[in-house]
Amino acid sequence: MLMMMPQLVVSGVSTGMLYAVVALSMTVVYKATTVVNFGHGDLVMAGAYAAFVFTAGIGLPFVPALVLALGALFLFGQLMQRALIEPILAGPHLSLAMMALAVGNVLRGAARVEWGNETLMLARPYPQTSFLLGPIVLTMDDIVISAVVLLLLLALFVVFHLSPLGKVVQAVFQTQRGAALVGINVRAFHGTMWGTGAALGAAGGALLALNTALTPDMGAWTLVRGFAAMTLGGFGSLYGAVVGGLLLGIMEKLLGFYVSTAFIDITAYVVTIVVLLVRPQGLFGRAAGRSV
Amino acid sequence: MSRDGRAESRRSAPAARRRSGRVIFWLAPLALLPLPLFLNQYQQYVLNLILMYVPVGVGFNVVVGNLGQLAFSNVAFFGLGAYTAGILMAKLGLPWWATVLPAGITGAVAGCAASVPALRGVRSFSLAIMTLAFGELMRWTYIRSEWLTGGSMGMAVPASDLFGWRLDLESHKFYVFLVLAVAVVIATDRLLRSRVGRAFMAIKDNEVAAAAMGVPTGRYYVLGLAWSGFVVGIGGSMYALLVGHLSPDSFNLIELILEFAIIMVGGLGSLVGSVVGAVVITTTPEIFSDFPGFEELIFGLLIVLVILVLPRGLASLLARLHPVFRDRYYESA
Repeated sequence: MLMMMPQLVVSGVSTGMLYAVVALSMTVVYKATTVVNFGHGDLVMAGAYAAFVFTAGIGLPFVPALVLALGALFLFGQLMQRALIEPILAGPHLSLAMMALAVGNVLRGAARVEWGNETLMLARPYPQTSFLLGPIVLTMDDIVISAVVLLLLLALFVVFHLSPLGKVVQAVFQTQRGAALVGINVRAFHGTMWGTGAALGAAGGALLALNTALTPDMGAWTLVRGFAAMTLGGFGSLYGAVVGGLLLGIMEKLLGFYVSTAFIDITAYVVTIVVLLVRPQGLFGRAAGRSV
Repeated sequence: MSRDGRAESRRSAPAARRRSGRVIFWLAPLALLPLPLFLNQYQQYVLNLILMYVPVGVGFNVVVGNLGQLAFSNVAFFGLGAYTAGILMAKLGLPWWATVLPAGITGAVAGCAASVPALRGVRSFSLAIMTLAFGELMRWTYIRSEWLTGGSMGMAVPASDLFGWRLDLESHKFYVFLVLAVAVVIATDRLLRSRVGRAFMAIKDNEVAAAAMGVPTGRYYVLGLAWSGFVVGIGGSMYALLVGHLSPDSFNLIELILEFAIIMVGGLGSLVGSVVGAVVITTTPEIFSDFPGFEELIFGLLIVLVILVLPRGLASLLARLHPVFRDRYYESA
């Protein structure tokens, strides 16, 4: 039984990488605008479909198709923020939640109008081989997913910490008012961050579509897992989102193997509920006083 | 006439108009009574669906609109009510009418459970995410409890009657549903206009201030969520009777969006809004149901439009027509 442990952790990390990138994409949006995007799952779905359109539809190779899909979703995220979120940003949280859900509905409907409920597959651009590392089987899927996510994380790290833009990001994350006072265009920044979030989500969707089928309804599944990873890591913490995603992936595999396969599906729900009840700030979040 | 007197009469004119306008609330259900004579089977079904969504929307609105909490546990209450009714009918052979109250009580118990995070200080988006997870966990429970619920294949709900009055006919269901929907609206109206409703309003506006004024906020959280669960649970039992088949997929995230849309499009914290929302949101997908995907698309666009143009929902539009539609439980000023 214990022999399986390293294998489970490895495949858990691979799944966790997907959760991490989804959670990270939601965190970017949340940190920038303090809006939780309840339609984010559908942006992930849209990203997966965009990748599908650019590969199977137009016939591009995988990598340029992925880049184009990210670009398309970046624009969409920016547009969504500008046209739909910005006008109601001062309003109650409820309207924001509903607006995001409604946009998700539109995306889901559009996907269903075009492709119906048929399940599509994104063709793997690499051979489906696997490698043996001692007792551990490493599939090509695991390697590609982890490599792409790590690359994205690296890019994000460079942008947030080493580039001049990073200073802007840090400033707005700290205080929007203050950032506006020193001459940062906060509105444009919001748009960029929504775009970045959507593009990151699209990357998650495209990677997810490599080993699961594409359906218009894949968004809900993704959303709940993204939330769970965010909550576990600490709401609003970028590192927390990554660690939370990885931990969630590993936990799913371990619980599924050692306790019951039924647990694979509910790990995310249970983690969300338990963390919020026991340690609402998560692993890395700061216990902030509630604003009145 | 003195200046004060004129001001008085001017002020009381809308109030009088509002009082006289209240008659419409009594006439509207009466006007619906002869409808089954004119409707075909399908139209009658949609009308019943609307009546079923009235308690579901009203219950949701109490928590979200009146108590001001972003709790998404409504679908859990709805599903629990539906499964309670279905299981009591299918396994124990109870008639439908005997399951309405148990369904409501199950919902109320779930409501009390859902108030635990709120009492622990979980608010806003965190509460939304948590209650969302709770709803999904319930859906998993329906799938996994195969011996009781038939699992993901679902379960059939047997036909029933009301003391010999057949309840498998859509037109017969209609009258029962109408009575239930009106009863729920009246009861909730009473509740919201009582000291309880005022406490909800105080909590929604400023929880700390309400607590400082001596409002036992915790008790009202439990009360609000329990009432919501009770009412929505009754809606669940209506669903079991109306559709006759329960499957876990009926209580997923899409259903949550639908129910959330009812109160957002109708009008937050407004009873009139809940009813109007139930009418609009139920009929829109039905109109486009022949075009897969289109109903979601149009539905989404409709919500986007309402939020941008009418942030207070369709009820605010009605309120402009006649003061009687103005929601008195939401606006503090």
